[in-house]
Amino acid sequence: MNAGDEAFDRAFWQAVGDMQAGAARPIESYLHLVPRHEHDELARMLADVLLARGPAPTPSAEESAAYARAVAVIDQVLITSGPAGILPEALKTMRGARGIEPDQITEQLAVDFQITSPAGRKALERNYHRLETGQLLGAKLASRLLESLARIFEIDVRDLLAGAKPTGTAPRPSAAPGLGRSSGASTSRRQAEHAPELLPDPEVELVERLFHGGPDA
Amino acid sequence: MRHFDTNDEHAFQRLDDAQLEVVRVEMIADGDERLELVIRVLVLRAVPAIERVCRKRGGDRGLSGAQIQKAIDDAAVRMLLRLKRPDRQSTVTAIAAELATACVDAQEPQPAATPRLASRRPELRVAEELGHAIKRGRIHRNDWRGS
Repeated sequence: MNAGDEAFDRAFWQAVGDMQAGAARPIESYLHLVPRHEHDELARMLADVLLARGPAPTPSAEESAAYARAVAVIDQVLITSGPAGILPEALKTMRGARGIEPDQITEQLAVDFQITSPAGRKALERNYHRLETGQLLGAKLASRLLESLARIFEIDVRDLLAGAKPTGTAPRPSAAPGLGRSSGASTSRRQAEHAPELLPDPEVELVERLFHGGPDA
Repeated sequence: MRHFDTNDEHAFQRLDDAQLEVVRVEMIADGDERLELVIRVLVLRAVPAIERVCRKRGGDRGLSGAQIQKAIDDAAVRMLLRLKRPDRQSTVTAIAAELATACVDAQEPQPAATPRLASRRPELRVAEELGHAIKRGRIHRNDWRGS
């Protein structure tokens, strides 16, 4: 395809796309995108498309506003996609739509994982906040945490799992906040030497595992 | 969502739902970064169906306009999550109807507003007394001759 054909094709499909999106501009603005000798042909093709489409439906103002808002919500979720995929913004939107407060989520998670200590609850609040603000890695979320969230949000856990995956190439996991545990023997030795003062609250450790320990944690 | 050549978007818009579904599954398998573009096209096609179901069912359940809008937002986001799944899905309209129904049902209908009392009939005593007085001949309409 030569450059002229490409410009013609692009102008035509841009016009069709704009019409489908309900944002069609005057035909002249598409004609300007192609050389003058192709104006007639493009105008004819666009006229055919318009005729085939028939009169555009006229949604009520209320329907248009609802549609526009839904599109904005969708774009907001997609645009904030990060290391935990679209899950963070999706959770926030679903929570808002269903009138669920963050405390209610952490309260239910505390019940599900039998977290009773104040430090454990604080860790839950902190990590859930990090999850909703896109600061965690989706690949490090425990399956049982997602199962619990799926029950709270009344959603299929497979939808949450899929949503937590970043699109395209998975980012390299950076050092997870919290425990920063490694499998190295030296670390274990160091920890053993400083025990028990460095040992975290077991409930805090459980919470950290849920949010940073990977699917099987 | 990353920004892609608008030609990609136009190309996706030309495909029908079934073709897009095939592309979607392939893109997930390949880790294609344009996946979200495809999902967006599919979800936008589903929004009118989501909206129709939410309005109809929400209206039947006595939900307020704000609650219906929340159900629409809720269903649209759930649709995004569903379409990120690697397995084949049913048609977008079918998913839209299923999710919209669930999202409307999750909204608690607000209690019916207490009926507003009709405002009291104004007591136009002066006007009534004047009327009676005119009828009884106690006073006469002003013909403005005497003024």
